Amino acid sequence: MNLFRSEEHIRNWSRFDPAAEQGIVPFANVVKLFSMDMFKKRLEPDYVARVGQYAKEFLAAVAELGKTRPFWRS
Amino acid sequence: MSSPDMIGKVYGIILKRMVATGQAPHYTEIAAEAGVPVEEGRKALHDLIDAKIPAMWLYPETDYICSFAPFNNLPTQYRISVDGMQKWFGQCGFESLAVSWLYPGKTVRIDATCLDCGAPIRVEMKDGVVLKEDPKGLAGYVSVPFSQWFQRFPYA
Repeated sequence: MNLFRSEEHIRNWSRFDPAAEQGIVPFANVVKLFSMDMFKKRLEPDYVARVGQYAKEFLAAVAELGKTRPFWRS
Repeated sequence: MSSPDMIGKVYGIILKRMVATGQAPHYTEIAAEAGVPVEEGRKALHDLIDAKIPAMWLYPETDYICSFAPFNNLPTQYRISVDGMQKWFGQCGFESLAVSWLYPGKTVRIDATCLDCGAPIRVEMKDGVVLKEDPKGLAGYVSVPFSQWFQRFPYA
């Protein structure tokens, strides 16, 4: 999971896989996904007990992406 | 098998150490901090890794922590600075964007290089909010389909 200077740079990258084109994510979407409780609450004392619940919430958010992009289906 | 309480305790010991120092503790240090015998600490570390909490792994066939999200214990191109001090590495570009949640009220800067052209990328965040994105128009890329992330975290 890498950051690039732009989508054009991703497509120019020598290891870009056209079959994984749907793996291109706008920066704002990455920030949004990685602001969910699974990432925000890591320092909470009960994080490990709750991580299953957080993961479900993350999966639901990713599923929203997957509605139109099969690459993101779980 | 370690108890859920012990697994949670070990998780907290490792994450707090990485937040403070940028380096993961050895299992002997984990054992000491958890107040258990050394071998119990080693087993608890492996039980935590096997608990499939995203995303962490050991160096293959060792007891050494390689990666512990959102950090990496092995240098990556994602250099993380907190209030101007660089001593952390992000696990990946995406997880680097989650680091600021671990430093409330502080400015977290991510300095990376674009894998295509080698030119710099810089992001500054505070409490999850992007303060600066340089250049504008950054994009993320993952080549491993989401359904395979848990089997292939190091490659995702």
